Amino acid sequence: MSLPPLTESQKACLALPLDRPIFLEGPAGTGKTTLAAARLLRWLEAGVPARAILVLTPQRTLAAAYTAVLRHPTAPPGGEVTVATLGGLAQRMIELFWPQVAEPAGFAAPTRPPISLTLETAQYYMARVVRPLLEEGYFDTIRVDRNRLYSQILDNLNKAAVIGFPYTEIAARLKAAWVGEAAQARVYDEAQECAARFREYCLAHNLLDFSLQYEVFARHLWPLPACRQYLIGRYTHLIADNIEEDTPVAHDLLAEWLPHCRAALLICDQNGGYRRFLGADPESAYRLRDLCREHVIFTASLIATPAMRALGRAMARALGHRGELTGHARPTSAATPADAPTGPRAALDYRAHRFYPEMLDWVADEIGRLVHEEGTPPAEIVVLAPYLTDALRFALATRLAARNVPVRSHRPSRALREEPATQCLLTIAALCHPAWGIQPTKYDVAHALMLAIDDLDLVRARLLAEIAYRVRDGRPTLLPFVDLEPAMQERITFLLGGRYEGLRTWVAARVEETRQPRPHRPDRPGSRRPASMPPTASLDHFFSRLFGELLSQPGYGFHRHHDAGEITANLIESVRKFRQIMPAPTAGDTFDLGREYVQMVQDGVVAAQYVRRWQRQPQDAVLLAPAYTFLMSNRPVSHQFWLDVGGMGWWERLYQPLTHPYVLSRRWAGGAWTDADEYTARQDALTALVLGLLRRCRTAIHLGLSELGESGNEQRGPLLQAVQRVLREA
Amino acid sequence: MSLPADFLFNQANLQDYVDCPRRFQLRHLLQLAWPAVAAEPADEYEAQVQDGEAFHRLVHQHVLGIIAAETPILPEAGPLADWWRAYLASPPADLPAMLLPEVTLSAPLAGYRLIAKYDLIAIEPDRRAIIVDWKTSARRPRPGWLSERMQTRVYRYLLVRAGTDLFPGLQPAQVEMIYWFANYPDQPERLPYDATQFEADGRLLTELVVEIAGRNEPIFPLTDDVTRCRFCTYRSLCGRGITAGDLDEADDQAAVPEEAAPDWTAGFDFEQIGEIVF
Repeated sequence: MSLPPLTESQKACLALPLDRPIFLEGPAGTGKTTLAAARLLRWLEAGVPARAILVLTPQRTLAAAYTAVLRHPTAPPGGEVTVATLGGLAQRMIELFWPQVAEPAGFAAPTRPPISLTLETAQYYMARVVRPLLEEGYFDTIRVDRNRLYSQILDNLNKAAVIGFPYTEIAARLKAAWVGEAAQARVYDEAQECAARFREYCLAHNLLDFSLQYEVFARHLWPLPACRQYLIGRYTHLIADNIEEDTPVAHDLLAEWLPHCRAALLICDQNGGYRRFLGADPESAYRLRDLCREHVIFTASLIATPAMRALGRAMARALGHRGELTGHARPTSAATPADAPTGPRAALDYRAHRFYPEMLDWVADEIGRLVHEEGTPPAEIVVLAPYLTDALRFALATRLAARNVPVRSHRPSRALREEPATQCLLTIAALCHPAWGIQPTKYDVAHALMLAIDDLDLVRARLLAEIAYRVRDGRPTLLPFVDLEPAMQERITFLLGGRYEGLRTWVAARVEETRQPRPHRPDRPGSRRPASMPPTASLDHFFSRLFGELLSQPGYGFHRHHDAGEITANLIESVRKFRQIMPAPTAGDTFDLGREYVQMVQDGVVAAQYVRRWQRQPQDAVLLAPAYTFLMSNRPVSHQFWLDVGGMGWWERLYQPLTHPYVLSRRWAGGAWTDADEYTARQDALTALVLGLLRRCRTAIHLGLSELGESGNEQRGPLLQAVQRVLREA
Repeated sequence: MSLPADFLFNQANLQDYVDCPRRFQLRHLLQLAWPAVAAEPADEYEAQVQDGEAFHRLVHQHVLGIIAAETPILPEAGPLADWWRAYLASPPADLPAMLLPEVTLSAPLAGYRLIAKYDLIAIEPDRRAIIVDWKTSARRPRPGWLSERMQTRVYRYLLVRAGTDLFPGLQPAQVEMIYWFANYPDQPERLPYDATQFEADGRLLTELVVEIAGRNEPIFPLTDDVTRCRFCTYRSLCGRGITAGDLDEADDQAAVPEEAAPDWTAGFDFEQIGEIVF
């Protein structure tokens, strides 16, 4: 990415002495990150070694502008600028300094390496800790899905870590703020006990979840002279962007780091703080302003038209915004949008509908018109909703595809375990491991055969499952094709029968292998396994073999369907990470990791995340995303379509009975969290969200309005009311 | 699909292209996930890769002074312990004192960027710069084979092009590359450098990048050497085999990949789940 021409404000900031610590603030869209990228290049041109520069962002997506500049062919040759989040930096430092920090941090086996937990594996261990307590009646007064319960307890631990208070105080803080029924206090105590048990388990087994990584880094590594000297000595030049989205502990660390930097640039978005539910604290970020010699404010939007800026002012008024509104000054450069005296209505496009599908049709028609008649690039259009349900995503994607408009989404529509390819792999795995005692239904086997065998339709697949699939003595079995009646063989066809036979013999060979493990191999240089130890076939390797030797071969279902390869890769990675956190089996151990994994899939604990895209996504496509996800991509567009404008989702917080993003923050002074506090918090969050979206829109906001929402309820949410006020006053 | 403007060339993807343009296309251009087994026994291959990573980390920690020679974090037996003893007993000889572990360098090349991550660069200011690469593979390649590998060409060339932060005015003749084999610590391969080779490497790498960027056929050519397909995970896609090759059968021509396949699920992903996404 080459940088656009700079404005006068940007040039003035760039011209400041290179060794000057600068605190730069301003609303989104005023060119702060562009300036920072220019200053980064200026450092490099001035001879600052790239390896001495650290760019910190609260989230990887927010670093895209920096990596684009650094990857550009025009960037000078040299070392590598480190672009990281604090969590990522913590992970690297723990790995490097583990021998020095493991014991003081309280790990039971400091001579053994640490094991990092993913969100999925952390939930697995939390489930192991919590499940026995659930049997005792813990959390019986609240109605929430078990996985959300586990994740909220982890959430509390994470909040304690990023805000910087002992995790043992979680319940006390939540109870002090609670004003409802007394029974809830017991729930907080139960959540506290679960958190404590989980932490003890992690320390006893060298497991590092996100909260422990953060705590070990902040409390043990950063104060460790060797680690601090390594970081301070290496990174003499620091850029921290979007510090308003970072955590108080990150701000503490920056405050201690800054005096040691030869140069620094801290960037703060005004009216931000969208990641508050992840511990972001914009007010805490402003502590860093006083540590910088220069304080620069950018005020002129380089993105929004005058009408868009007027709409921002009007929406802020309508939402009762109390503070000073920045970011609505006129730009100071020819590179900025042309001004024209227009009011907020000029930036709004809307059509009222009675029913939800009518609104979706209108949205798709409008997007089709923008792309095909006005020549708007699809990448310049986003469709946003507070939550993007699978049904809504499918409905929109289908409509846009019918209008020949390319679409991309922030994630695929199904969780990994719900993907048909995953179901196919798990069914065949069960057939190959009769010792698991899992007997797939004929329905499952029919669907697995249909996916596994190329050109096998559902009718024939059902027929095959009906005739050739048996459970004998509790063991699932596939019969040879030759054993079928000749008439049935003809119905299936001999071509497909041959493929079925290939699958059956592969399965039979694996069943045989589980009875008689592969022969030992002699030791050789570099071999970890001593000759006395029999080889084992782990489930992830089994899936790799199933994919490579059978399903991806010509004539089988995954050969031409490349998405299935991606799903298999995700499943393999999930199993592998699951395996790597499990203790090594001991002699006489009857625990079967494969069976445990499949059980956890059925319970929804693992493989519940969405398939991660390995392939590059089409860039010139309309993006469908939740509003906050779009904000965290920090990318302006020309057209935004807001859906469900009357819905309460724009205003309400996620139901989280075990945690609280405002009470578990450094700003919370104690005392009760009242309805008035809740109202103010929601109103402030909606205002920040709306302003954030408007500041990332160049041309028009298109409002999808329907009297009845997705589920058929009448819609009159606060965002709709604010829009109506703006329209009345305009 | 054409080459993205932000594509990074490195020794691994260039070697893939030289070995088989189709593998380069599938793996690096289309980034097609094809998770077949690379080599059998799969668990042993995985263990080798993990041990190799652990050894690299140990040496990194040792060079930085984080661990001493008598570190308690080693397993008592096994290849890692053997390699560590070999490293302490027979490290690369005559290394300069200034040791820079885990250095990444990059430079523009034919409209793209070339990048390399070095295990260790040892520098004697104004005199010489030694690149050290730790190899934990079971076999030691035959002499001469490594000099033709893209790793050798890219590492030495890029150090001269992009290493001026570390060594102002570095000349090709001041560069040497050492491959040190953990299983054969007394038989390192030392590869000196000079201006002629630097020019030749620059030409070759530029030609390769230009050639790759100019390709627009839907399917890049497949390698003629089908023995390479035994250790390529895309063998079923290309209709070139069913089972993975055996680790014992790997040789210089059909080398097993030293690095694990790209870990596309590493790290936290903000989009993964709505509840907590730290």
